[in-house]
Amino acid sequence: MISDKILKRVSKPGRYIGGEYGQILKDKNDIKCRWAFCFPDTYEIGMSNLGMRILYGSLNSQPDIWCERCYTPWEDMQKEMKENNVPLWALESGDPLCNFDIVAFTLQYELCYTNVLTMLDLAGIPLMADERDENCPIIIGGGPCAYNAEPVADFFDIFSIGEGEEALCELSRLYINMKDNGSYSRKSFLHEAAKLEGFYVPSLYGVSYNGDGTIKEYKPLYDDIPTRIKKRIVKDMDKAYFPEKVVMPYIETVHDRIMLEVCRGCYRGCRFCQAGNLFRPVRRKSANTLNEQAKTLFKNCGYDEISLTSLSISDYPYLETLCDELLCWTEDKKIGLSLPSLRIDSFSKELMERISSVRSSGLTFAPEAGTQRLRNVINKGVCEEDLMNAAKIAYNGGKSSVKLYFMMGLPTEQLEDLEGIAQMAEHVIDAYYQNPDRKKGSRPPQVTISVASFIPKPFTPFQWEAQDKLQVLLDKQKYLGSKITNRKIKYNWHEAKVSHLEAVFARGNRRLSKAILEAHKRGLMFDSWDEYFNYEKWMQIFADCGIDPEFYANREYAEDEILPWDIIDIGVTKEFLLREKKAAYAERVTPNCVEKCSGCGANKLGGENSCCPKA
Amino acid sequence: MLPQSVRIKFQKINVLKFISHLDLCRTMKTALLRAGIPVWYTEGFNPHPKMVFSLPLSIGTESECEYMDIKITEEMSFDEIKQRLSDALTADMAILDVYAPEMKFQEIGYATYEITPYASYDLSPLSKDEVNITKRTKKGEATVNVKDRIVSVSENEGKIYMILSADTERFVNPEHLLALCKSEDHRIVRKEVYTRNMKIFR
Repeated sequence: MISDKILKRVSKPGRYIGGEYGQILKDKNDIKCRWAFCFPDTYEIGMSNLGMRILYGSLNSQPDIWCERCYTPWEDMQKEMKENNVPLWALESGDPLCNFDIVAFTLQYELCYTNVLTMLDLAGIPLMADERDENCPIIIGGGPCAYNAEPVADFFDIFSIGEGEEALCELSRLYINMKDNGSYSRKSFLHEAAKLEGFYVPSLYGVSYNGDGTIKEYKPLYDDIPTRIKKRIVKDMDKAYFPEKVVMPYIETVHDRIMLEVCRGCYRGCRFCQAGNLFRPVRRKSANTLNEQAKTLFKNCGYDEISLTSLSISDYPYLETLCDELLCWTEDKKIGLSLPSLRIDSFSKELMERISSVRSSGLTFAPEAGTQRLRNVINKGVCEEDLMNAAKIAYNGGKSSVKLYFMMGLPTEQLEDLEGIAQMAEHVIDAYYQNPDRKKGSRPPQVTISVASFIPKPFTPFQWEAQDKLQVLLDKQKYLGSKITNRKIKYNWHEAKVSHLEAVFARGNRRLSKAILEAHKRGLMFDSWDEYFNYEKWMQIFADCGIDPEFYANREYAEDEILPWDIIDIGVTKEFLLREKKAAYAERVTPNCVEKCSGCGANKLGGENSCCPKA
Repeated sequence: MLPQSVRIKFQKINVLKFISHLDLCRTMKTALLRAGIPVWYTEGFNPHPKMVFSLPLSIGTESECEYMDIKITEEMSFDEIKQRLSDALTADMAILDVYAPEMKFQEIGYATYEITPYASYDLSPLSKDEVNITKRTKKGEATVNVKDRIVSVSENEGKIYMILSADTERFVNPEHLLALCKSEDHRIVRKEVYTRNMKIFR
C-alpha cells in the first residue's frame, strides 16, 4: 500500500486508493487462489471495462478465490514507486502483485503491450516467461488481443482464449486441486492447463519459420495437448454469470453508467470487423432477463444512465419490448437510455423517441465507406437511402448533430470512394434543408465525420490484405480534406501512424516480442495516449531489432500461408473467411445470418437464443 | 410539508481525503439513488438530484463534520434515510446524523481542526504579528495576512488544535498554515463547524 505522503505528491491520487463502494474484500485465510486482475491502462479506462467487471465478479463468486484489481500507474506515480521501493500492489488488499497466485492482464488493444511490461516491471516479476521460477505468480492474458497474442507470447505463461467467466474459475480449480494434492509445480500446472479447453500455453508450442520470415510450423511439445486451441463461449446468456454489483469509482471514469450487455456477437458479417467474427455465434439475453438485471444494477450502483451494450444494438430482435419495459421505470427515476451502436437501416422514429425521452444526445451512425460499391465490398449492407432516412428521422426529432464513422484504406478503395465520403456528408446536410418536417427553431445541422484507417485484423476476410503504406494513408487523408468544403461538416481522422503500429501488432508473430521488450527498456509506455505515442522511436526500435514493420502491416499475406493465429480456433473457419474474401473482390454481398446461414462454422460451438442452425 | 429539507452530516476520512469535491458530489448522487431516497430533482434540461454542500474540503484534509442538504419529495423518516444512505456508502463516508436544518450554511463562521504531525514542525510563525500566506487568485498571486482569522492554535499530547475562520470570504486552509510551520507530513481532520457566534453548527 502506498503512503499518504506519496499520494499527496502525484496527480489524480484517487486512482490509487481503492476502498470503493462495492469492492470485494475477503479474509486471506479462507482463500486458496488469489488473482490480481490487471488492466494495462489507467484506472479511469480500466474501471469502465465491462469484461473486467464480469470476470471480477465471477471469480469472486467462488468462496476460495479472491480477485483484486490493478491498473497502470501514471508516470509520476511510477517514479515515486521506484524511488521509494514500492512494488505494484492490488487495490483491495494493498498486497504486492508478486505475492499473488495468478496475475491476469486483459488485452483490449494492441497498444497496451508496453504497459503490460511496465506493470510486470513495477511488480518485480520477471518479464520473460522462461525466467520465472516457482515463486512467481502465473501470468495470464485474455481479451480480444489474446486471439493473436503471439507478439507478447514470450511474456505470458497462459492465454485464455474466448469468454472467461466459466473458464477462469476452472483454471483456478485446477490450480487449487494441484496445490492441495501436492502435484503442483509451475511446469506441471502449465502442462495440465494446456489440456483445459480454451487455454493456450505458448511455451508448449514451438514455432519454426521459413527463410522468408513466414511461419513454417507450430509444433506442440506434448502429444496430449491440442494442436489448435478452441475458444470458450458461454452457451446460454440468460444463465450466464452476471455481476449484480459494481465497484463504484470515486473519481470520474470514462463510462460512469450501467452497461447492460444485451447480446454477444453480431450477425452482420462486415468483412473488416474482427469482433463480428471473434464473438460468433450470436447469443442474446431475453428482454425479461435484461429488464430484471437492469433493475438490480440500478439498485446496486445508482447510475442515471443505462447503456444497452452490443455490437449492433438495433439488430436485437426484442429491442422494442426491452425499451418499453425499461422505460416503465426508468423515466420516472430520470434514468437515460443510450444505444451506442445504431445501424442506419434499422433505426426508427419510435426507437429514437425511446432513447431521447430523458436526456438528449446526438446520433452516431457508421456507413464505413463512401460508395455503394465499396460498401458491398466490405459487406456493410446499408445504402445511402438508409442514411438519408435515418438523418430525416433524427432531424424531425429535433436532433441536429449527426456523427458518421468511415474507414479509409479499405481493400479495392479508389479516390472516388473517398469523394463519396464527402458527398454523403453533404447529402446529410442537404437532407436537413430539404426536409419540411424538421423541428422549427432547431440549431443548424452539424455533421461530424470520423475517418479511421483500415487495419487488417486476424480472423476477418481481410486478414490477408496489405494495409496502405503510411504515406498513402496520409495522402488520402489530405485528399479527403480537400473535398470537404462545407463548414457545417467537421472532419476528424485517426492518426495513421497509430493505425500502422496497430496493424504491425495485430498480425504480428513471436519475433515482435524482442521489439516490445526493447521499447519497454527505452521507456515507452501508454502508446495509446497521444502524449506518449512515439512513432519515430518505435520505427527506430524495429530497425535496431532487425524487424521490418512492413512485413507485418503492409504485406499481402498468401492465402496458403500459415498465419500466426492459425493455432487458435474461433469457430469461424478459414475456408469461410476465404470465401468471403473472394465475395468481397466480386463486390458481392453475403446475406446476414438471420436471412440465410452462410456456414461460417461458429454454430459448432453451440449457443442458446442464437440465429444459428443447430450443429 | 413536502418537499422537505433534510440535512445530512457525514464524515470523509482516511483515503477519501484524496477525493475532490466534484467527485464527492458524484458519489453522493449515486449513493442517494441506490439508497432509494426520494430526492428532489432540479428542473430543466438535465434534471439531477438537488444537493447543497457546506464547506468544500480541500484535497488532503479529512473531516468528521461534512454537511449536505437535500430535499425529499415523499415522507421518509430521518432514521430510515440515515440507515439507507449508510448502507449505500463505505464506512469512510459514514452518515453521522440526519435532521431538519436548524441553521443556514451562510451562518458558518469557524471550524476546528485536529492535526497529527508525523515529522518536525515549528508553530512560532503563527504567533507573529503578521501571518502572511500566499493565495492564488484569478488575478495572480496575492499575499494575505490571516492573523485575525486564526482564533487559536494549541498543542496537546502531540497533537495540534486550530480554530480557524471558515466563512467563505475569510476561509483559512490549515494546510497553508502548516506550510508556514514547515510541517511536511501530517494528518488534518476537521472536527467541528461553528457559527459566527461560536455555536455548534446544526
